[in-house]
Amino acid sequence: MSENTLSKTSAGRAAAPTRVDPVTGAVIQGALENIAVEMGHKLMRMSYSSIIRESEDFGTALTDATGRQLCECRMSTPLQSGPIPGYIRGILKQMAARGETLQPGDVIMHNDPYGGASHGPDVGFAVPVFLDGTLIGFSVTTAHHLDIGALTPGSTGIVDAVDTFAEGLQFKAIKVVEAGRRNEAVWSILRDNIRASALVVGDMEAQVQTAQIGAERFLALVNHHGLKTVMDAFEDLLDYSERLMRDAISALPDGDYAATTHIDGFLDDADPSRRDLPIAVTLKVRGDSITVDLTGTAPQLPDKPINMPLVGTVDISIWLTLRSILLDSVVYGNIPQNEGLTRPITIVAPRGTIANPIFPAPVIARFCPGNALADTVMKALAQAVPRQVSAGIGNLRVVAFSGMREGSQWVHMEILEGSYGGRFGSDGMDAVDTLFANTRNNPIEDIESHLPIRVDRYELRHNAMAAGRTRGGIGTIREFTFLDDGAFSVEGDGHRYRPWGYDGGQDGFQASLKLIHKAGGAEDLVSKVPYHKIRAGDHLISEGPSGGGYGNPLERSPESVLTDVLEDLITADVAERDYGVVIVSGKVDADATTARRSAA
Amino acid sequence: MRTIGVDVGGTFTDLVYCDMDSGALAIHKVSTTPDDPSRGVMTGIRELCAANDVDPATIDYVFHGTTTATNAVLENKGARAGLITNDGFRDIIHIGRHQRVEHYSIIQELPWQHRPLVKRQHRKTVPGRLVPPTGEVLVPLDRDAVRSAALELKAEGVESVAICFLFSYLNPAHELEAKAIVEEVMPGAFVTTSSFISPQFREFERFTTAALAAFIGPKVDRYIDHLDTALRDSGINGDLRIMASNGGVATTKMVVEKPTLTLLSGLAAGVLGGKWIGDLTGRSRLITFDIGGTSADIGIVVDGVFAETDARSTSIAGFPLLTPMIDIHTIGAGGGSIAHIDRGGAFRVGPQSAGAVPGPAAYGRGGTEPTVTDANLVLGRLIAEDFLGGGMTLDEAASRRVVTDLAGRLGLPVEETAHGILTIINANMANAIRSRTIQKGIDPRGFALVAFGGAGPLHGVEVAAMLGIREVIVPPYPGITSAMGLLTTDLKYDVTRTQFQVSGAVDLGRLNSDIAAMEAELSAQFAADHIDQADVSFRRIGDLRYVGQGYELKIPFPEGEITAEKLTETFEAFHRTHASEYGHAFRQSPIEIVNLRVSGIGRMPKLDKLTAPAGGSLAEALVRTAPSVFRAGDRLETFETPIYRRAALPVGEAFTGPAIILQTDSTTVMPPGTRAVVDASGSILITIEAAN
Repeated sequence: MSENTLSKTSAGRAAAPTRVDPVTGAVIQGALENIAVEMGHKLMRMSYSSIIRESEDFGTALTDATGRQLCECRMSTPLQSGPIPGYIRGILKQMAARGETLQPGDVIMHNDPYGGASHGPDVGFAVPVFLDGTLIGFSVTTAHHLDIGALTPGSTGIVDAVDTFAEGLQFKAIKVVEAGRRNEAVWSILRDNIRASALVVGDMEAQVQTAQIGAERFLALVNHHGLKTVMDAFEDLLDYSERLMRDAISALPDGDYAATTHIDGFLDDADPSRRDLPIAVTLKVRGDSITVDLTGTAPQLPDKPINMPLVGTVDISIWLTLRSILLDSVVYGNIPQNEGLTRPITIVAPRGTIANPIFPAPVIARFCPGNALADTVMKALAQAVPRQVSAGIGNLRVVAFSGMREGSQWVHMEILEGSYGGRFGSDGMDAVDTLFANTRNNPIEDIESHLPIRVDRYELRHNAMAAGRTRGGIGTIREFTFLDDGAFSVEGDGHRYRPWGYDGGQDGFQASLKLIHKAGGAEDLVSKVPYHKIRAGDHLISEGPSGGGYGNPLERSPESVLTDVLEDLITADVAERDYGVVIVSGKVDADATTARRSAA
Repeated sequence: MRTIGVDVGGTFTDLVYCDMDSGALAIHKVSTTPDDPSRGVMTGIRELCAANDVDPATIDYVFHGTTTATNAVLENKGARAGLITNDGFRDIIHIGRHQRVEHYSIIQELPWQHRPLVKRQHRKTVPGRLVPPTGEVLVPLDRDAVRSAALELKAEGVESVAICFLFSYLNPAHELEAKAIVEEVMPGAFVTTSSFISPQFREFERFTTAALAAFIGPKVDRYIDHLDTALRDSGINGDLRIMASNGGVATTKMVVEKPTLTLLSGLAAGVLGGKWIGDLTGRSRLITFDIGGTSADIGIVVDGVFAETDARSTSIAGFPLLTPMIDIHTIGAGGGSIAHIDRGGAFRVGPQSAGAVPGPAAYGRGGTEPTVTDANLVLGRLIAEDFLGGGMTLDEAASRRVVTDLAGRLGLPVEETAHGILTIINANMANAIRSRTIQKGIDPRGFALVAFGGAGPLHGVEVAAMLGIREVIVPPYPGITSAMGLLTTDLKYDVTRTQFQVSGAVDLGRLNSDIAAMEAELSAQFAADHIDQADVSFRRIGDLRYVGQGYELKIPFPEGEITAEKLTETFEAFHRTHASEYGHAFRQSPIEIVNLRVSGIGRMPKLDKLTAPAGGSLAEALVRTAPSVFRAGDRLETFETPIYRRAALPVGEAFTGPAIILQTDSTTVMPPGTRAVVDASGSILITIEAAN
């Protein structure tokens, strides 16, 4: 393929060589995307638990017979649809090992984190698609479930699982429907071993229905255009995505770009090997390829679940970050998410590190380290493309609330947002999901109407804005009061390390968590809290992290700093201290500011 | 009864005059005057009246579709607005749902942070808190704090205020108290409450909708006032009625109070116009297909009823909007859509558009990129000298030049390239229709496609064929179907109450008293509008979901007192609808009634028929024949194609494709394998004989 001959300008640009004529290719691409969107639409609307329907923590995709992804749904969160090819490969491998075969009418359940799944609670359902008796692909849905039968309620904040067996039920390519017949035994096992099973099993049913609809549509498309044409068009799409990624990598200067960040680990653990863990990334750019080398990353924790599956978390984190920076969708529009994008990228992750753990090291709480890895990749790449990155992001945290009401268990998960760092051309985004996750919060009016929780505050933090030529995004402060006895658990990070400032910008602000007991007394909590009992009236205060600043704060325009003060994001004394901008009765004192700035 | 419909679009303001007694009908078109659209509106009305010898004093109603509010939001030119909310929740409209717009972008901006409707400095918080399930007062409202907040806002030069408290949809008392205080402190300011604008749960969406109202309120108020005065000055004393997004019209008073009603109204009249055309031909299952230069707007009518969006799918400029509205799906596909090769080397058409300036290469205004219009011209489907009824001559050589250039880069023959442009844009449009039909369990094959707008009739048949649709209806005046839609509306107001009631434990007393209260509220509104009680009817709709789900389905509620039996029927209907929309019903699951809405309809006089022009014969209608290119099997073939003049086509006499039909405001293309007949109502009914 002669991508080097492609002109860079729009007007004279030539078409790439393709297997299928460019018109049919465009038509098939549109049809594939339409199917994935329909699947996402249906799953989101049919599902029960807020983690899927509100947070949109689900994925849908079609793959070919070997698991290569044809299309994904735009509504799904990147960390869910991204791993789908890995699920299929895991399923195929597992079934081959057991000597089982697929047949029409099967539905396969899979959540093996050492077999392609992102982690145990992200359960995949795959429907094989057959044409005249031959397997041609899969229709797949994945979703994060509220509970998967781990040691304590909920599927997040299981931060004390000692191995994968403690993380909940493991399903390795299990046929929940076999040749059209439901395997009732498996469904009974699910109902009997999972908390809030009505919701969870309902969501699983929705996943199955959705995957079956996708399979029907896939088959109809193949019948309309012919299998060869569809598959050729698919190969063209892979080449298309690959070409874009290789072009973008080629534009980077060859070289090694290295960065290290640290995650908290278990800050209250007596064992220092479980705290302050480095994540090291070296991007080796050579021509139109990149090797991402994670050598130097902390050794795995054999009995603490913040190890990251290499397939399903580490790979996704790296791929998504590289594409978000190099092929930013604001500039490039929607690019088919498929293997083509990842062909130019090689990942080297030494075995036995937290980025490539050895079974049965636990992995259920891999979410925060995974996003920290994404942030580290961005920090390394900042050296090559400083205008396309943000300064360090504030990581996310997940809280699971649970309790008993009228004899049955309730579980609720809340993802606490982070924020972005400042960017070359604009301030950081405040109070938002970062990098490899993109979920939604739950409306306060929904939470309070359905759960014994009161939300007392949900605002931006004050005087917690990292200074820079462009400022860092601001984290939130959220407060909850528990109306009944119950419990919560937390899986987070970023309580010790500040998001990195870039090019003279200040470092951001850490997150924090404080529990105030109604009975008196308060606890400052670390970023990982296993099942923690609470009494009615107890009060939880969360401060979310603020991203790093970008560039020298003294270069921020005084008018922008004045706006920051007028908007009540920072006080006038902070404006003077951090930016050298002197504000007197709501106006910039230009002379004093010049003097202050030149003295700095 | 004499009425005028005025629809303000981006380029043109379309007008229709109708005398409902005599059946006389006249149309007119003037340029839109973006700086003050009421100027164009008044010019159009005066010219229309003069040209048809109509005394303005005899006009009973002016029905008006306006984009004033919409443009204020799209162009970010609204009022300096303030917001008063609960202590602790200053940033609800800034944080949003904490979700990025784009998954894969670092440089993106979030609309609600980048272009805030209400700046943080104008968002004030006060003590006071209501709690579910009934809206009970947990913390009383601090009236002094409200007064201080209002004084601050006044000092800051704020001209409109949205009052937004948590759980106000359950109990508006705190919002109303605060509103009274703010109005006292800030006389003349536009003050509104979230429970008045849209009393439904989900605070970010409700507060944002109220903030939108505050953002556009003063501007809408001034515009309506201005127009009303101009109408009076021109001697028109009839009532002005404004098109709303819900498919009805509203009084000027209502629109001034709830300006968000008009935010997405620009497209609603098109669906109404398309539906009305379908009604006249006796079709009740319709896809309305309105294509202009930059976008294709698609609406669905099932058994005579247009689909509505659910509360969570409506937005404007990236802001969620909680307001009842017709389900209209818009994609960037029109005559000006640009065909190009993207960075990855793939062939794409749209969503970028050449717009009106420079426009397609064919317009000869400096456009250098091939567009859909150029492709139509190259294939002989548009006729250079007969565009817009001869009002504009297209530059065929320019079109051929730009398409040839693209063809060279694609490595395809010129005709194949032009045809490819149409295939891709048609497939995009067909996908958009699929997403509103097949994906919701509706089989489009039993539907007729009503093709209008300047470019709808050019593409209608080929898009229909892609979907297995056998019938395409082309209205008599495709270019002003939206304006005609304005003359087919009723007054329509909606009232909503959140219920959160679950099957098995429904409080029928509360349900019935809520319905009674909502109907009484609507009756009072219609009485104030001087609508005769006999012309008022109600429609009840519930937003239902299985307990735990987050998306609701709209299910009609029965009339009269709601009994346990009737409710069982309603729940049964929910199971059925769920099964048809999603492919599955969870019959064991309890069902939650989330919201209950009553729509009040105040019947208005309306356009009830169209008469086909007398016409002549096919021979008289035939202008000439010309070569046009169509696909025949797997290759392109040039057909010597008859070109007809629409006005001269005879009623009831069938003719076959290929054929091209010319008229001032559009061109209709009938490929081979189609037959058509002009219906008594003046529409062309095209039947596709070999749908693929």
